[in-house]
Amino acid sequence: MFRTCDITGFKVDLSSEKLIRANAVFAVISLLLAVTAAILLVFTRYQPVHLLGAEWYYRLVTFHGLNALIFWIIFFEIAGLYFGSTVILNTKFCSPRWGWIAFGLMVAGLVMSNVIILMGKADVMLTSYTPLKAHPLYYLGIILFAVGALIAVTLFFGNLMIARRDKAYGDTMPLFTYGLMTAAIIAVITLASGALIYIPTFLWSLGLVQNIDPAMYKLIWWGLGHSSQQINVAAMVSIWYMVSFLSVGGTSINERVSRSAFVLYILFICLASAHHLLTDPGVSSAWKVWNTSYAMYLAVLASMIHAFAVPSSFESAQRRWGYNKGLFQWLSKAPWGNPAFSSIILAIIGFGFIGGTTGVIFGMEQTNIIVHNTIAIPGHFKGTVVIGTTLTFMGITYYLIPLIFRRKIVGYGWAKWQPWLFFIGIALLSIAMIVLGQLGVPRRHWDSSFSGGPFTHNFNPAVDFFWALMMLGGVLAFLSTIIWILIVVISVFFGPKVNGPQDMQLNISPLAPQVKEHKGFEAPGTLVLTMIFLLVFIALFFLNWKWLAATWNVN
Amino acid sequence: MSLYSPAEGWFDKKVAKDEKMWMVIALILCIVLFVWMVLWHVYGKQNPSSTTYRTSTAEFAKLSEAYIKQNMVGMDNGIPVVRPKPNSDVFVMGEMWRWSPVMVLQKDQSYKFHISSKDVMHGFSIQPVNMNFQVFPGYDYVLTFKPTEPGEYKIICNEFCGIGHHAMIGKIVVIEKEEDLKLYGYEKLKKAPDPLPSKVSTATMTEAEKATAGEQLYTLKGCAACHKTDNTSQLAPSWKGLFGKEESVMENGSKTSVKVDESYIKESIKEPTKKITIGFEKTPMPVFPLTDDEIDQITSYIKTLSN
Repeated sequence: MFRTCDITGFKVDLSSEKLIRANAVFAVISLLLAVTAAILLVFTRYQPVHLLGAEWYYRLVTFHGLNALIFWIIFFEIAGLYFGSTVILNTKFCSPRWGWIAFGLMVAGLVMSNVIILMGKADVMLTSYTPLKAHPLYYLGIILFAVGALIAVTLFFGNLMIARRDKAYGDTMPLFTYGLMTAAIIAVITLASGALIYIPTFLWSLGLVQNIDPAMYKLIWWGLGHSSQQINVAAMVSIWYMVSFLSVGGTSINERVSRSAFVLYILFICLASAHHLLTDPGVSSAWKVWNTSYAMYLAVLASMIHAFAVPSSFESAQRRWGYNKGLFQWLSKAPWGNPAFSSIILAIIGFGFIGGTTGVIFGMEQTNIIVHNTIAIPGHFKGTVVIGTTLTFMGITYYLIPLIFRRKIVGYGWAKWQPWLFFIGIALLSIAMIVLGQLGVPRRHWDSSFSGGPFTHNFNPAVDFFWALMMLGGVLAFLSTIIWILIVVISVFFGPKVNGPQDMQLNISPLAPQVKEHKGFEAPGTLVLTMIFLLVFIALFFLNWKWLAATWNVN
Repeated sequence: MSLYSPAEGWFDKKVAKDEKMWMVIALILCIVLFVWMVLWHVYGKQNPSSTTYRTSTAEFAKLSEAYIKQNMVGMDNGIPVVRPKPNSDVFVMGEMWRWSPVMVLQKDQSYKFHISSKDVMHGFSIQPVNMNFQVFPGYDYVLTFKPTEPGEYKIICNEFCGIGHHAMIGKIVVIEKEEDLKLYGYEKLKKAPDPLPSKVSTATMTEAEKATAGEQLYTLKGCAACHKTDNTSQLAPSWKGLFGKEESVMENGSKTSVKVDESYIKESIKEPTKKITIGFEKTPMPVFPLTDDEIDQITSYIKTLSN
């Protein structure tokens, strides 16, 4: 059963649409759980308030990590994979029945793990490093969720095969779906690593396996833990290209380059997993240096290629629309009133300047010494996963509400500034955490006054300012997320129905004219922006190495 | 176009000049990052070591205990203090929830730290100099440190290790000259190590000698991590005024009362979870393999801590 979209002209399989909706709804529920825990955690670490007791603090850190990093993101990605493989390709869903089985398993996993955590049977953090042991049902919940996700990813490939057989797209798969396909391939690798570590750990928690070597556990766990972030990156960048198309009619200025960059993500997936072991015993320096870079950091290169390719797709299209004056008219005349557009631009900035720079620098063998397990690490991934992925997903939802849920956005005025509030909130939070980490403040630590310990330690007095900044950023981000959730929930359940293009609040641009109007560089403004990025990176690079050089000698 | 097939001839389209420039710059940067790490191993002074030994928690616990017995020169808040010789091996043990020993080091001298854990993973974080390493049970991580500035440093645990994680804090003191010891209240440290009287039967010891031996055990075995002697009881009952007290405990899920005497202390050490003091159900005590003589000495020490 198909309907033809009266706005975009795509053929939409109704059974696929239902599955997309169900997965998206659970994504939003997970996000709500995650941010509720987050705000309590912020006010616990902010020492003047110190809200929760030690027990609930660690319990909610576990809860927050699992819901934010796994449930929210993967539910949303499954919705995205279904969307990209059916709607965009005008294809029917290969097996809706299995789609619902996958969904059921994922929901069961979510409920089981969350209940066990809240019962206090799994205070082990998201990483659950052995020999810390959780209740067997905690691991089982994650396994169920992963199996469901794996089935969903398989269905994505099934949809692609049907589309290919039916010649539903021309000769070449659209870039958006191509990017999602790389995300799906990475997801298979990731979920396989997850199975490889969670199944033995589950058996160990039941007493059927004697011992799980902690170093082996950590190595394989990060095959899940960080590779899953590469799924996010691939999915997020795909959405960036999509929003460039929807909002200004833009397209990658060279699809071969963009596609090659996606392939690099798959080929060099291990780089990111390996950098979690930089200050560990068990593996040698040669192993660390080689496996985090393969001599040339090709996964980083992939992101840097997209860092040019995505903004240049906006710039090139805008210039062809006639916004050709100077270096930045394409940017000043961009559709800033479109919340999906502003979300994506802010996500790119945050991902690159905060998450990307720190990620590369912290991921080098020696500089990792001054940040490992400090609060700078979550600070870094607030920049990547929260500003990057989460804000991107929030932004694209503004398109999904009218196009997939067929509802108008209620409170559109609020939607326009919600991305800005979120960006400012997380940027403050993230930068404050990075600075605190550089001052030595540990992550996942209940009491920076070390009460009950034989000694105490006073951090650099500057930390007080950054704790306040972190608290402020956390509050802003929390409010913004609640606003987003309210907009989404009210629109989806109570919003006026969309009856045609006249009800679209966000603009959908036609394809930009093909003729190039300007001479010289294709995207000079983007080149300037990437150069600024390069300078910021170099400055942070030398700052960190200078701090490292000031520490004790160690070898 | 990202939602449609790309235009005809997309595969052969020339890469724009500016995009090509950026890609070349990015690739060069990526190669520089790799070369930089390699060169830092040659010219830099901070490199994580590649030296690791396989060990077991029991084996390392023995090594650490023997090391401390031999080198202990004093005590600081219940943690043994050692003053290792430059270039010597130092055994550092992380356990729930303390680092031992406290180390007094000389500026600009190297020390070969062997770091491991007795139970779960810990994070070895020296502050305020901010150097961080991972500690695994079953792995002996050998890191040669050379402190470059004098002062008082703390070892914070920055890997979650259970409910008392925040209380796990150790200490390193770096001195330049002998007088500096006064700054840290360490001027009374013994010159030569004074090992514990080993294999001396309690039968021949006076009560005072037993209490002294008990105090050393208190430090050595790690009781001090949870049991304080200053009336604070965050993770476990304080030993101050404990002896002779009536305690409310949980036994087999029901509440009862027990008088703290010799036999109760012995039972609590041998079967710590049989009777758990009300209020500390969340932090059950692990079993410490102590001999009867050692238990006797610890009991004598507790007796001296009356209110």
